[in-house]
Amino acid sequence: MSEQPLRVMVVDDHPMWRDAVERDLAGAGFDVVAVAADGDQAIARFPAARPQVVVLDLQIPGPSGVEVAERVLRHDPSARVLILSASGEQDDVLAAVKAGATGYLVKSASREELIDAVRRTAAGDPVFTPGLAGLVLGEYRRLSDPTPSGPEVPQLTERETEVLRMVATGMSYKQIAERLVLSHRTVQNHVQNTLRKLQLHNRVELTRWAIEQGLEE
Amino acid sequence: MLNTVGVGLWTRDELDRPWVGALAVGAIVLWSLAVTAAYADAARRTPPMLAADLAVALGALLATPLVKADGFDATLAGYWVMSPMFAWAARWGWRGGLAAGLSVGAADLLIRDELTQVTYGNVFLLAIGGPVVGYLVESLQRSAVQRDRAEREAAAAAERARLARAVHDGVLQVLALVQRRGGEAGATDPRLAELGRLAGEQEEALRALIRAQDRVVPPVAVAAGGAAVASVADLAAALATLESPRVVVSLPGGSVLLPEAQVLEVRAAVAACLDNVERHAGPDARAWVLLESLPGAVTVSVRDDGPGIPDGRLARATAEGRLGVTGSIEGRLRDLGGRADLATGSWGTEWTLTLPVSPATSPGGAPTS
Repeated sequence: MSEQPLRVMVVDDHPMWRDAVERDLAGAGFDVVAVAADGDQAIARFPAARPQVVVLDLQIPGPSGVEVAERVLRHDPSARVLILSASGEQDDVLAAVKAGATGYLVKSASREELIDAVRRTAAGDPVFTPGLAGLVLGEYRRLSDPTPSGPEVPQLTERETEVLRMVATGMSYKQIAERLVLSHRTVQNHVQNTLRKLQLHNRVELTRWAIEQGLEE
Repeated sequence: MLNTVGVGLWTRDELDRPWVGALAVGAIVLWSLAVTAAYADAARRTPPMLAADLAVALGALLATPLVKADGFDATLAGYWVMSPMFAWAARWGWRGGLAAGLSVGAADLLIRDELTQVTYGNVFLLAIGGPVVGYLVESLQRSAVQRDRAEREAAAAAERARLARAVHDGVLQVLALVQRRGGEAGATDPRLAELGRLAGEQEEALRALIRAQDRVVPPVAVAAGGAAVASVADLAAALATLESPRVVVSLPGGSVLLPEAQVLEVRAAVAACLDNVERHAGPDARAWVLLESLPGAVTVSVRDDGPGIPDGRLARATAEGRLGVTGSIEGRLRDLGGRADLATGSWGTEWTLTLPVSPATSPGGAPTS
């Protein structure tokens, strides 16, 4: 653990939840540097608060959670976004991950799970639920179906697919490492790569789209 | 209208009394302008208005013998008589068209000295044309009404879904919060722990319901699959309903469309796997279901975190002929042309159900059309 407490920002439009999350994080020794109830507040308060981790609800008024994730990460690429969502609408979750969020947790998670997830997100570890792993797997399949059109379509290696499938069936990194006889760190890298490629692809697509629309410069 | 004036000029040597004829044609022109202006607003297309329109046409027909010499070809009104008839057809459907067509036809016959083939042809066309136009107008109106209703229903459904999402999100938040607080306070008061557990169960149930609802395949997508796959269903939606506090279901983003019978069989096989988990790994064991849509195949993995199956036990069971649930899962998949594989280890037990799919029911997310 670092000497400095971890700086965290909480974005949630539900006051009870916002307070509960804030209290839990503060209780665990984190420094909650800002809270926000909607997208506008989140984007406005982010630069001054400079949080290391943004705990973000996707269903918020104003600019959506997906847009908030994209905007704050563009402003500070070293920040990390952890999605904390109640309903987990699949398209939104996938969009947020593509926009750069590296963690996803449903609100039914316990306090310990939340604190652990914030800690891991801050350390740069991707925090996957089995549901998110299933979505990401499906997204890779969708991108390569029916035929991979050109080299820019991201593909998973066999090992990465194997690891992601195990995450999707609820196995911990430790269990995966044991089953595949890999180090814990290697498993983490594989999972990280699956996200990184997807986010990179998303950025490439956005850039290409912008150039096509004549918005470059 | 121009036709009436033109024919009037052309056939003016037929006229006995040219000034009366000019007056009559002039009246028809004025009436046409007036009636066109009047019909512009639907509210003014009243029965008296339409009756007057037809009366003018009949009047113009009946007045013809007064101004023209015997044995004339063109009437004063000429083909202009069709416009009131069309107005009737538009207003009262095929019945109105028929009534107007017949009365115009009858008036036309009445003023003729002799019935020529041309006259008969014209009258016949009038009598047929009225109802046909009326019928077309009626079906156009019917389909417009149906389209309006469908649009209204779609808009209402979308709005209901939007409201439901907002309400559900709020309910989920509160249930999750109660579960959380209950769990924390449960250490001191078991009743609160129970409350939290119940809230957790309801949250899970509601979430599964929302997922299943979100995945209802629109009928259009089903129709797009063609006649050969008339009854397709979404395997992802079917598996989503298996989620429970002990079972996590991971799905790809889109729908996975398969023939309905296959969807029911695969779901039943997965349910049998989950039953098996509860029986052999205990009621506390958790299970995960993963659906993947691969090129040419669909796989479903079902893993539990139980202790796994000891070496040799399966082989012994097979040898002794007591396959039970295992046999039924394998049998179901074999009947579908697929297979079921079992792997076990310290990490638990995992079934992998593989089902080949034909390109017709293309996997890979969104339905192809």
